[in-house]
Amino acid sequence: MMEDMKRKKMLYVQTSGIDAPERLYAPFILAMTAKAMEMDAAVYFLIRGITVIKKGEAAKIKIGSFPSLKDVMDQAVEAGVELYACAQSCELMNMPKGDLESRVKVAGAATLNDLVVESDGVMYF
Amino acid sequence: MELDLRGLYCPIPVFRAREEISNVGVGEELVIIADDPAAEEDLRRWAKRAGHEVTGSQKEGDELTIRIRRMR
Repeated sequence: MMEDMKRKKMLYVQTSGIDAPERLYAPFILAMTAKAMEMDAAVYFLIRGITVIKKGEAAKIKIGSFPSLKDVMDQAVEAGVELYACAQSCELMNMPKGDLESRVKVAGAATLNDLVVESDGVMYF
Repeated sequence: MELDLRGLYCPIPVFRAREEISNVGVGEELVIIADDPAAEEDLRRWAKRAGHEVTGSQKEGDELTIRIRRMR
C-alpha cells in the first residue's frame, strides 16, 4: 500500500534526431501527461537525440496541425519536466556544447544509468 | 586528497573517482577537479549510489571542484 502511494517517476530516452521529426513529439507529450498524473518525468537526449535540443532546431519542426516542437518543449519544461543532455553525444554529433537549449542539464553515463534504475517506467524513442 | 581530472571525459571521471576514493580514509574527503560538463551530475549520482557524501561543490567557468567524503 505504501509502495503504491510513493510518487512515481517516468523516464523517456530520446535517441532519434531531427531527421525523424515524427518520433520527437511523443516523449514531451507523455512527460507532460505524467506530470498531470502527479508523477515526476524526465527526458534524456542522447546519440542523434541530442540534435533535438540544439538551439533553434525545435522551432523548425512542425508536423501537420501539431504545434511546433519548440512550443511542446516549452510546455513540457513549464510543467516541470526535466531535460538531460548527454555531453559525449554532443561530441559524437560534432555539436558545440554551447549550442544546447539553456534549460537542459548536461549529464553522462552515470546519470542515465541512475535515472533508469530510479524510474518506475522507462520508454525509448 | 586531490584528484585532477581536467581533460578527461565521461565516463572516465566516475571510474577514477571510484579508484581514488579507496585511497582516502573513511570520513576523509576526496577533492576532485574536473572540466567534463557531465562530471557534476555524474559524480553526485555515483557518490550517492556508492554510499558516499558530497560535502560541497563549486563551479568557476567550466571548472568544477567537488568534495566527496568517503563514508564506508
